[in-house]
Amino acid sequence: MKGDITCKDCVDLLMDYIERSLDARTYDRLDEHLQSCPPCIHFLKSYRKCSELSGQLRDQRVQIPLELENRLKGFLKEEVRKPPQPGK
Amino acid sequence: MSIREIDQHQIIEGLKSQNADTIDEFVHQFSRPLFGVILNYTKNPSDAEEILQDTLLKIIRKIETFREESDIWPWIKRIAVNNSIMWLRKYRAAREREIQLDDSLPQFTTDGQYINPPFGWSVDPEEVMLNRELGGELYDAIQALPFEYRVPLVLRDIEGYSIKQISSLLGLKEPTTKTRIHRARLFVREKLAHYFEDAI
Repeated sequence: MKGDITCKDCVDLLMDYIERSLDARTYDRLDEHLQSCPPCIHFLKSYRKCSELSGQLRDQRVQIPLELENRLKGFLKEEVRKPPQPGK
Repeated sequence: MSIREIDQHQIIEGLKSQNADTIDEFVHQFSRPLFGVILNYTKNPSDAEEILQDTLLKIIRKIETFREESDIWPWIKRIAVNNSIMWLRKYRAAREREIQLDDSLPQFTTDGQYINPPFGWSVDPEEVMLNRELGGELYDAIQALPFEYRVPLVLRDIEGYSIKQISSLLGLKEPTTKTRIHRARLFVREKLAHYFEDAI
């Protein structure tokens, strides 16, 4: 046990720690624990990295078949000629 | 995506007047990036196609409400995100198989220490770029999450929405949103751990 924060507490509080939404005293206690606990440092780094890597999926390049693109064009041009239905 | 690829004003005016050429151009320019956004919410391509079709139609129907002084992409993307969530709630969520997230939580002794301490990732995580293999594993891990965990995670870590925005969008209390994102991250971390372990 490092100080009065356990490794379990550390994992439970990681999100609030990263988001800086902990009160100052808890933040400092957690920070202190992290400075003296390599396993928790490893956990924090991997947890944070997974979150950052997910952000890279934002710009994922996908392809859509030309057939689908043409179908969408046809569908939309057909639909805009109709009056909108309730809830659409 | 960059709206510089097209003339935003021309597209907006063309969609308002339901010009056929503009609709073709609109589909050509936007369907691919929108499909990418939608695929973050559902892995099933046929579901994604239906959501895409419905999203494009909604955009055209709502184009009159767009305030032209702003960039159109965030507005379009928001419609796609809302539509994906609504669609999944309605048609898919109930049919998705439940997985046990507890398996991905680290195990602790009664005094709060790790039973199996996490190893240090030998590949410097700061230097790991999202290659195709890792990207695929990450995507699969996110898609394996149940709907109620996957959507908050996608909104936070992929789309960059705030906790407050996500809570409002999903009708959740903020602590619930945070708990779900945290549990989802722990699950994804556990699923990816072997990727880094194997790289030792």
